[in-house]
Amino acid sequence: MATDRFSGSGRRLLLGLVSAAAIGTAALPAAAQRAQPCIGASWELTGPLAHTGMTIRIAVETALDEINAAGGVLGQPLRLIAYDDVGEPARAVDNARRIGERDNCIVMMGGFRTPNAIALRDPLAEMELPWMGVISAGTGVIEHPNNANKWMFRVSMKDRWVAPFLVEAAKARSRSGKIALVFEGTAWGQGAVPDVERAMAAANTPLAGKETFNIADQDMSAQMIRLRDAGVDTIIFYGVDREATNMLRSMDRLGYKPTIISAWGIGVQFARTAGPLAEGVLVAGTYTWMGDLPPRAAGVLQRIQAKFPQIASAADIPLPSGTANAYDATYIIAEAIKLAGRFDRDAFRQALFRVNYEGIVANYAPAFEPRQERHDAILPASYKLFAFHNGAMLPVEQTPFRQAAR
Amino acid sequence: MEAIVQYLLTGLSAGSVYGLIALGFYVMWSAAKAVNFTYGDVFMLGGVGTVVLMELGLPLPVAAATAIAGAAVVGAIVERVFVRPFNREANSIGWMLTTIAVGIMIESSTTATYGPLGRPLPTPLVEHPIRIGGSGIYPQELLLPVAAIAATFALEFFYKRTVLGRAMRAVSFNRVAAGLVGIDADRITLLAFAIAGGLGAFAGFLVAPVVQASASMGVIVGLKGFMVAIIAGIANARGVVIVGILYGVAEKLIEGFLSTAARDAIGFTLMILLLLLFPQGLFGRAEVRKV
Repeated sequence: MATDRFSGSGRRLLLGLVSAAAIGTAALPAAAQRAQPCIGASWELTGPLAHTGMTIRIAVETALDEINAAGGVLGQPLRLIAYDDVGEPARAVDNARRIGERDNCIVMMGGFRTPNAIALRDPLAEMELPWMGVISAGTGVIEHPNNANKWMFRVSMKDRWVAPFLVEAAKARSRSGKIALVFEGTAWGQGAVPDVERAMAAANTPLAGKETFNIADQDMSAQMIRLRDAGVDTIIFYGVDREATNMLRSMDRLGYKPTIISAWGIGVQFARTAGPLAEGVLVAGTYTWMGDLPPRAAGVLQRIQAKFPQIASAADIPLPSGTANAYDATYIIAEAIKLAGRFDRDAFRQALFRVNYEGIVANYAPAFEPRQERHDAILPASYKLFAFHNGAMLPVEQTPFRQAAR
Repeated sequence: MEAIVQYLLTGLSAGSVYGLIALGFYVMWSAAKAVNFTYGDVFMLGGVGTVVLMELGLPLPVAAATAIAGAAVVGAIVERVFVRPFNREANSIGWMLTTIAVGIMIESSTTATYGPLGRPLPTPLVEHPIRIGGSGIYPQELLLPVAAIAATFALEFFYKRTVLGRAMRAVSFNRVAAGLVGIDADRITLLAFAIAGGLGAFAGFLVAPVVQASASMGVIVGLKGFMVAIIAGIANARGVVIVGILYGVAEKLIEGFLSTAARDAIGFTLMILLLLLFPQGLFGRAEVRKV
């Protein structure tokens, strides 16, 4: 009887332990499970931002070909699983769920738009899925308001660091000291205003003008008249190719020729649409594939061209900095997996702080540091200034626009 | 003063585009009491088509003429396939849905094939602006008001002096009665949509050198052109062009003296107020039906 009672209690104890173990296993975070050797990506592959997805894809696939040809990571090939989010945050979140839960990739790579990246903050933390941005430059992508970003990393520019860089370049080129800000009426453009104002205040130079425009605006005469009448000789510009061209046309009508120093929203298409008006426009970025390239970068460009026939020349890479960032980011991911020694998301995340890698954009030594501000790999020292010259986007040092105002 | 001259010049140019588009809506409405809401995309086909054909090696005039003819065919197809079957009853509104849907399809497929970025349409008329003091305008932009006025007079001549034009007016006046005297109302309506398609594409071709040819170039102007047509009273050719030009100038004055960011909000508010004051449109007349 006593034995029976003991046996009954033992069974209940055993059942309880098994249940607890089952529940415990189910509750384990995904990071503790073995992840797959894949990079999941949510990019703008179709729709009006399709050129941005292509910009990243050509770099990542080329880098993966090189990495896998050299033996892959931990003896396995590193795969790419790319999903289209059409630039919509909700789709980016859906894609993150697929990547984190169904595909169980070790890392996710982000696309062009900052709002998409911002929308991923909570889902990524919930799934404990590391994320690597390569373009979306919004400060809040990496510097979360709760100061607790653990899973999001970026190999790109950061708006908070870009503003002082642009202001410094503007101050160096302005003869009158009258510098104005022209920005698009989007989250990106409006978000840059306080950054630029802070940087101008730090430089003891008040903004001589502040003008905005709407997406698809075809004429900006009113804004340019106000800036011209205020004596502005240098404009810091936050916008993209189409509106930049339309702004230059408005200036051309008025005969107004200030120096323009743009954030990196404008790319090589701007040179095509603006034609001779683009001459001398300066733009911040991390890389250009035009002009004299170091041998390694020249080789990468050749392999991109060989793999993607639509890239007939460097002029066909719409966002050159994004392509270079994505190439370096892919190698940093591979290095971190090797350092982690296993396909484990948390071990991978920890390894990112130990990666030392000489990339084509910068020397990452180390790539990241544990404080969230340094979840950005590219430091301001690696930001570069490019100039449009003879229809090409070149390092400013390779053009006549090194110092002189236009 | 220079600023006001500039606002008048650029307003004249932008307003002429609205006027040309509104004129297309007028042509369609006159024939079918329905319009083609893909019209902003037909406008886009004029610019994008010309660029693509030039990239294929055609000279500018041939490329433009082919693109405009192609857009006219698109206009006719839209009428035959997406308007006529949904406009059989007196109060049918199905054509609104179908034409909006086709517009989205045209824009999406253009984005997918042509690409999302704008491309230049080079013409010698955008190389150097004509300067008037501190103001200026490209010669290409001056073509726009000329084209709008010429198109208005040409349409008036067509409606009043040609057999086909008179047949179109007859269909507009009374479709059933026109049929009884032997006019093929369906064919006339098809022709009206084709003419409107060509007119819209012509406007797109004229403005593309200034604003770049892109898949989305017709979205906003298509909407504003329709709004201008309604405010003018859609059945008056001169009225829609005049209101288009006035609206373009008003936009520039709002940008110059009130707010660039709130331009559309102020402009649309103004239009709504006008519609409240003049329900038939500024140049429209109340329709009197004998019962």
